[in-house]
Amino acid sequence: MEKALQRWFPVFVLPTLAAFIIGFIWPFCQGLYLSFCRFTTINNASWVGIDNYINSFSDASFGDSFWFTVAFAVVSTVLINVLAFAVALALTRSIRGTNVFRTVFFMPNLIGGIVLGYIWQILINCLLSIVGQPLLNLNTPAGYWGMIILMCWQQVGYMMIIYVAGLQNVPPELVEAAQIDGATSWQTLLWVKLPMVMPSITICLFLTITNSFKLFDQNLSLTGGEPAHATEMLALNI
Amino acid sequence: MNRSKNGIPGLGWTVFFSILSALYMYPIVMILLNSFKVETAISTSTAFQMPTGDSFAGFSNYIDAIASKGFLQSMCYSLLITITSVALILLCCSMCAWYITRVNNLLSKAVYLLCAFSMVVPFQMVMFTLSQTADRLKLNTPWNICVIYLGFGAGLAVFLFSGFMKSIPIEIEEAAMIDGCNPLQTYFKVVFPILKPTMISVGVLETMWVWNDYLLPTLVLDIKKYRTVPMLIQYFRGSYGRVEMGPMMACIVLTILPVIVIYLVGQKHIIKGVLAGAVKG
Amino acid sequence: MKKVLALLLAMLLCLGLLAGCGGQDDGGDAGDGDGGEATGSVYYLNFKPEQDEAWQALAAAYTEESGVPVTVVTAASGNYETTLMAEMGKSEAPTLFQVNGPVGLKNWQDYCYDLSGSDIYGQLTSESFGLKGDDGSVAGIAYVVESYGLIVNKTLLSAAGYTVDDIKSFADLKRIAEDITVRSGELGFAAFSSAGMDGSSDWRFKTHLANLPIYFEYQTDGIGSTEAIKGTYLDNYRAIWDLYINNSTCAPAELSAKTGDDSRNEFLAGKAVFFQNGSWEYNNLVGEDKFSDEDLAMIPIYIGVGDEANQGLCTGTENYWCVNKEAPEENIKATLDFMNWCVTSEKGTSAMANDMGFVIPFKNAVESPNLFVKQDNEMTIAGKIPVSWNFPTMPSEEWKNVLGSALTVYAADQSDETWAGVQEAFVANWAAEYQLLNQ
Repeated sequence: MEKALQRWFPVFVLPTLAAFIIGFIWPFCQGLYLSFCRFTTINNASWVGIDNYINSFSDASFGDSFWFTVAFAVVSTVLINVLAFAVALALTRSIRGTNVFRTVFFMPNLIGGIVLGYIWQILINCLLSIVGQPLLNLNTPAGYWGMIILMCWQQVGYMMIIYVAGLQNVPPELVEAAQIDGATSWQTLLWVKLPMVMPSITICLFLTITNSFKLFDQNLSLTGGEPAHATEMLALNI
Repeated sequence: MNRSKNGIPGLGWTVFFSILSALYMYPIVMILLNSFKVETAISTSTAFQMPTGDSFAGFSNYIDAIASKGFLQSMCYSLLITITSVALILLCCSMCAWYITRVNNLLSKAVYLLCAFSMVVPFQMVMFTLSQTADRLKLNTPWNICVIYLGFGAGLAVFLFSGFMKSIPIEIEEAAMIDGCNPLQTYFKVVFPILKPTMISVGVLETMWVWNDYLLPTLVLDIKKYRTVPMLIQYFRGSYGRVEMGPMMACIVLTILPVIVIYLVGQKHIIKGVLAGAVKG
Repeated sequence: MKKVLALLLAMLLCLGLLAGCGGQDDGGDAGDGDGGEATGSVYYLNFKPEQDEAWQALAAAYTEESGVPVTVVTAASGNYETTLMAEMGKSEAPTLFQVNGPVGLKNWQDYCYDLSGSDIYGQLTSESFGLKGDDGSVAGIAYVVESYGLIVNKTLLSAAGYTVDDIKSFADLKRIAEDITVRSGELGFAAFSSAGMDGSSDWRFKTHLANLPIYFEYQTDGIGSTEAIKGTYLDNYRAIWDLYINNSTCAPAELSAKTGDDSRNEFLAGKAVFFQNGSWEYNNLVGEDKFSDEDLAMIPIYIGVGDEANQGLCTGTENYWCVNKEAPEENIKATLDFMNWCVTSEKGTSAMANDMGFVIPFKNAVESPNLFVKQDNEMTIAGKIPVSWNFPTMPSEEWKNVLGSALTVYAADQSDETWAGVQEAFVANWAAEYQLLNQ
């Protein structure tokens, strides 16, 4: 079959590959080249070697935003996954209204980017002004946690669904066997369920990490890199 | 589990989750409420209040939003872009993914690796060069920007599809081939139906991305002629820090609305699709 | 099978659309190209979203009159540079764009057509409205002049027992503001609307208010820009900032939680007498259910330096038109004609004055209905000297942002230590930022 399929390369792979080259590989190579240039627009770039890299690494704000991004990625990844897993655990039990809850938790996924950021900017600013704290663009911790809450709000639902899928795949016999052997519910969770959902965990981790490293829209509309670039994340700095 | 032994099957949990769900929905409800207020009544400290007699604006914000900046036109463009892009991504990427999982040669591996790599590169790295490339190739109209989306979205889609593809048994496909199907027929008759759940979950991801995307259309589309809805929303911010809150909120609601309606209509399929698609991922 | 069929059909449809529209587009482009050779075309990348509709109307009017196609695109607020960068790389680049002054010009100098011999340059009321590049060419031309100062609610001021004429110096302003604060319980309003430090409002203080100490320092030293500011009048900056935040509608610590909209809404609701802002606010303040011209006045921002009796409003511009040198010859010509038409023809000048509310520094300008602009003219005629806009010489956006943060910290905790932070942000950071960008 492999042989037969191989000849169909133009039909199956070529369209995607062509678009991929136009949409990603070519611009990426050009972008890579540009990163070694001084330019205002693409047309008048002149080669400067690695000056840009030296500049950005010696620029304090680049280091800051790098660490900010890393800190953000770590915290949000952990939080999202733990929360999603907890919710998934709860929702795989027989609770009245699980379907409704799943629907609700999934919904924020449908709102994205700029709009999401604006909604939360208004919401968080309102909360902050009620408790008399500085607004987002002056308030680094609030900006940071605001972003994290936003990310959680948006992504927990999706990850939860993936975990629910994973948990439903755990054969009930295994859990029962463990319980008969006298395992507490914690032990069952840790030693039976967790290993069984490892594939889900991998994919969730993967999705959340890439998401948090290239977050731009939310950052732009929520904080715009204020205050003083503290919340400006890596993507915005490049 | 303790609770179910006590005879109240998860009632506490139900209550707990009801409250949580209410909180979860709150941001959306808040925007909805505020979109009915007159502009001067929307400020940071009063965003939580219900609209009252004085501050109730009826549908005037919606009328403003729709009338002032060509909202309906933008909506059509956004719809067009989203539908064509997602359809194209789903079809092309699943085909591509099938090929690279079933054909085991250097090219397949290279494509797979590149796709994985493209997912971690931030858009900012390529945005200016992409906008120029798209312009040169005249891929800057709502009708064909989907090619750009296909290219830029291919990474994630191919990655997810091939992850799922690895787990489906090859025997059925081989049987079909022996029965005389050519690969294209095999794909549409055998592989495509199996892929349906993954299609839905990838489709949801891609739809949300394309529908809400702001930066890519701003830079790639011919902005002299076309605006998408997320671009439109940005125009409610003036150059001196003034934000036309009322129409902006209305616009946000109008942007979310179709998505939520589609979701509620198809939620059974969507959740099931994501569930099923995710298991093997 | 049915589904596959449906999908295939849908795909065919998409392809058809693609092909059809691709074909259509080609046709359109070819048409444009043909027209372009004869007359050229104009593509204006506009900076101010508020004026988008007025520009579209004006462009259409010009096209109707002259047959030259004019496209106006407005970049979303805060995205002008990104948009300009992307658009400049495209095959149909903007022919007309704008920079905010010397600092902005640095990036775009290579693209600026020398306007020194052009008709529009000859129309300027003063050569100082031309923006000179490093090589002495005229790279940009100011197309709008704006003023800012303290907007006064005259009704409230007279309720407090004063008139606008009572305020002739910083000392007067301080006395009146503090008196209003003392009696605010009985009067029911405060002196200043909240000096919000949110991103939608902080430019009023970190940029516009900071212009005053910079202006007076430049005046004293006889310079027009500097690589290291001395901060001679920082004490006065502190005094006016203290006045703003301690006589406001809210406690100083809450200022960081206020936005520009909050501040405007307070002023509109009659909760404050003074509101620092500019002539661009006119349309937001006057109108149905809002104020009428009789209620309002704009007075200079006095900070207790220089000849206060003859101080005028802060008047200047940070909007310069530049023409793209790289554009085809005929498009440059068309653009120059369009610019000239905007500022000389009856339609153009009246649209700019009435629809956009601009005051344009050109000989044929129509008088603007904008009250604040009229006041600025009256003051200039009365011999008062306008305070020029020096914030385009501020080294970077970063400098402004750091200053803004420092001001907020100070507002929450007014002590000498926190003020030292403001001083540091003002003086030391100026030199540092200047160094960084001009190395």
